[in-house]
Amino acid sequence: MLKYVGKRLVYMIGVFFVVSIIMFVLFNSTPGDRALNQVQNLRGKVSDEQFQIRYQAARDKLGLDDPIPVRYVKWMGNLLSGDLGYSTFYKKDVIDVIGEPLKNTMIINLFSTFVALAITIPLGIFCAVKKFSKFDNAVQVLTIVGYSVPIYIIGLILIYLFSVQLGWLPISGMNSPNFQGSGFTAFLDRLYYLTLPVIVMTIASLGGMTRYVRAAMIDALRMDYIRTARAKGLKEKVVIYSHAWRNALLSVVTLIISWFMSVFMGSIIVEQVFQLNGIGKMYYTGLMNQDYDVALAIQMLYCVITLISNLVTDLSYGIVDPRVRIDK
Amino acid sequence: MSKNNNNEKKPSFSLIKRLFGGKNKEMDIMQEEAIQSPMRTIVKNFVGNKLSMGGLIIFVLIFLIVLIGPFFYPIQLSEKEETQINVAPGMDMMKLPKELEGNVKMISTGSTFSVGVDNKGKVYTWGRTKISSKIDIKKDMPSQKELGEVVAVSAGFDHVMALNTDGEVICWGSNRMSQAKVPSGIKRKKIKQIAAGYQVSFALTEGGEVLYWGNENLNDIRVTRKNGNGKIDKISVANTTLMAITKSGEAVHMGSQPSDIDTIPEDLGKVVDIATTSDNALVLLEDGSLRVWGKKGKAIMDIPNIDGKIIALAAGRSHFTVLTEKGDVYVWGDNNKGQTKLPSNVKNISAVFSGSYQNYAITESGKTITWGLKGYFMGSDELGRDVFARLLNGGRMTMTIGAIAVIISTIIGIIVGGISGFFGGWVDIIMQRITEIVSSLPFLPMAMILTSIIGNSLSENARIALIMVVLGILSWPTLARLVRAQVLAEREKEFVTAANAMGVKKSSIVFKHIIPNVISVIIVSATLDFATCMLTESTLSFLGFGVKLPRPTWGNMLNGCVNSVVIKNCWWRWVFPAIMLSICVICINMIGDGLRDAIDPKSNER
Repeated sequence: MLKYVGKRLVYMIGVFFVVSIIMFVLFNSTPGDRALNQVQNLRGKVSDEQFQIRYQAARDKLGLDDPIPVRYVKWMGNLLSGDLGYSTFYKKDVIDVIGEPLKNTMIINLFSTFVALAITIPLGIFCAVKKFSKFDNAVQVLTIVGYSVPIYIIGLILIYLFSVQLGWLPISGMNSPNFQGSGFTAFLDRLYYLTLPVIVMTIASLGGMTRYVRAAMIDALRMDYIRTARAKGLKEKVVIYSHAWRNALLSVVTLIISWFMSVFMGSIIVEQVFQLNGIGKMYYTGLMNQDYDVALAIQMLYCVITLISNLVTDLSYGIVDPRVRIDK
Repeated sequence: MSKNNNNEKKPSFSLIKRLFGGKNKEMDIMQEEAIQSPMRTIVKNFVGNKLSMGGLIIFVLIFLIVLIGPFFYPIQLSEKEETQINVAPGMDMMKLPKELEGNVKMISTGSTFSVGVDNKGKVYTWGRTKISSKIDIKKDMPSQKELGEVVAVSAGFDHVMALNTDGEVICWGSNRMSQAKVPSGIKRKKIKQIAAGYQVSFALTEGGEVLYWGNENLNDIRVTRKNGNGKIDKISVANTTLMAITKSGEAVHMGSQPSDIDTIPEDLGKVVDIATTSDNALVLLEDGSLRVWGKKGKAIMDIPNIDGKIIALAAGRSHFTVLTEKGDVYVWGDNNKGQTKLPSNVKNISAVFSGSYQNYAITESGKTITWGLKGYFMGSDELGRDVFARLLNGGRMTMTIGAIAVIISTIIGIIVGGISGFFGGWVDIIMQRITEIVSSLPFLPMAMILTSIIGNSLSENARIALIMVVLGILSWPTLARLVRAQVLAEREKEFVTAANAMGVKKSSIVFKHIIPNVISVIIVSATLDFATCMLTESTLSFLGFGVKLPRPTWGNMLNGCVNSVVIKNCWWRWVFPAIMLSICVICINMIGDGLRDAIDPKSNER
């Protein structure tokens, strides 16, 4: 097992470097001169000679005259030591810029994950037990609809219903404008603003998760030990919740891990629609405003998240189900 | 055997029967069921699945509509029409009220609505009279008692003027630029003609004086003695400016800003009548000939051969209508909304009224014939473009991108999966690593980065090609894994050993012997991928990283709709693209699910 984990880790690091090279080359092939952007405002204020000196200094500072491999090594070294670069849009270090949004995204994702699980697990079990009943068929059709409709359309519909027609919830934003308050009231205000995004993200993930839980549960219910359990006269409740569900849980756990990781990416759209100050919105504005240091840092974060989630998913197969031998 | 013969006799019939869900006849217990090929079983299973069959039919319908529709509803990318902004869906722009039918005295068309007067002086309005959430021409109309007996009406962009027998001018509608606020001094004067334009109102007195109010600054209207004030005989409003004829038959421009319309030819001679579109003027000269000037290069400069004496001129926003003594109507100009498409039954006409994109011709027997823009089936958007036409064209774009992306990803997936599954060893290891690297690239962020970094320096067409390639390149790993697993299972089978023994080339074993056996998996995966690619393209366009405006796709049509004003007041702008996109993706997913169930009957039991 340890050997396997070690092998996976080494391999993961390899993939990380390959991906980082691809990303770095991509970002550095963008048109536009970053050094010129930095000294642009000096043009006309100082003499041409002075301007050239400043410009060259900026180029040296950014290392734009070095060959790409040298720049990559420098950038990688900075990245590993925690220096993610400088945001030209916010005029701050990237690490200071992305802290708050990252926290917000985590909160939204955690909320919606828990709400979604609280709905899908019982629903999936119920559908599996009553499979091919009218209710189950209806849910099956609804889940197809659920995972087909794009998340921003769900957002639009819910904004129309709850914000425009009923006026219960705000349309976008994180806080009331000019909100003065602290502690509990601030929390309530934040909650008020985050309700709709969380609902949208939850609904968007209901379809796929319900189907997954149902499939896992049906697989478990087909097993011989279920027949045995029923044959020895156990109550149906015990059969379902104790015998079948525990086994179905194995695959559901892995789903939860990989799914939780993937919401980080899905939230780009939701944060854009609701104008939330999250990591996805940050990425969006970074790309839109050619603030490539921010975009690159977040992109690397996404890559790391994907790699870790792949690893954790693979390992969790072995951990939750000892029958699966992953180090073969 | 006998059953087999039966089948051969009428194969086409049995195919139709199978396609439309007729069940096979109950077989006798002694008869043996004919063995079916796997493909036939799959088709039979699929056809039997009502849900996916329904999905297939709806999808094919939508597909055909968006494929053929754009030929009938072409769009101009540079189109912009400020008078047709955010028009609600409906086809009633030319639907005269019943009471007015056969009794028309005068009709005037504003932007999206029309106003008419009957011979008794009663005023009617119809069309899209709700201009904004606050202004509704129909609701705001003063009661008949206040209006009195109306003799003339004129509809502007968002307000209406009416003149009654007492010589009183009454305005209603939008009053943002005080265009509906009649000056008090007007009461002393005897009004002869009224004309409403874009945010501005004009009135001509019997004494030949032009009065105006509203936003006259748009074209700096200056009515002075120099340009003939006090001697004006007839006025005609052209969008924001005013043309007029003096009593001595001279055409004059009342705006002081240079515009297309102020290039009045010098050798005109005596002018009898005038009509103006937004950028052109048409005059009838004393000798019965016509002259046009204004914006050049349009179909509008091209006057048709007119047979007979001209008795009336009329003009819409970009077309002219002429009525002759014989009762024939001639119409020319832009035909982008069907406004110059003259119906064949237009004969023996006694009066013709044109405005905006609508035409009303009154026959001698009093019947009204209309042609031109009926309305927008799905409304219009913030630049006055037809949502329905954009939906068709956008659908074609979305589906094309999705389809080509799927083809790219399927080809890559088959090649990578096939090779790595069949050859194994170090080839497999390398291919697997590449697959994993690509699948560890986060999909949406990666697509955003590629289209924004590479795409910024590309032309629009190259950009669209890039989106297809990016989507294709990022979505193949799933299929490659599936194909690899299938090939691993297939390559141990006897027919592969046989092919090997016969000395068939390795590559043709993979692609000619093994791949056809895993084709069902590929089809299912490609179908589901098609839905994903369409969704991703729409998402990218929605976020502004995909196809850029003004070229429509279903995604970027929704782009400008995420704000409360649009969501509330212009529901048609987001509801229709959203419905189409959702239905399409739902159908494709249903087809994919149905196919999977049909191919793998075991999964049915789930």
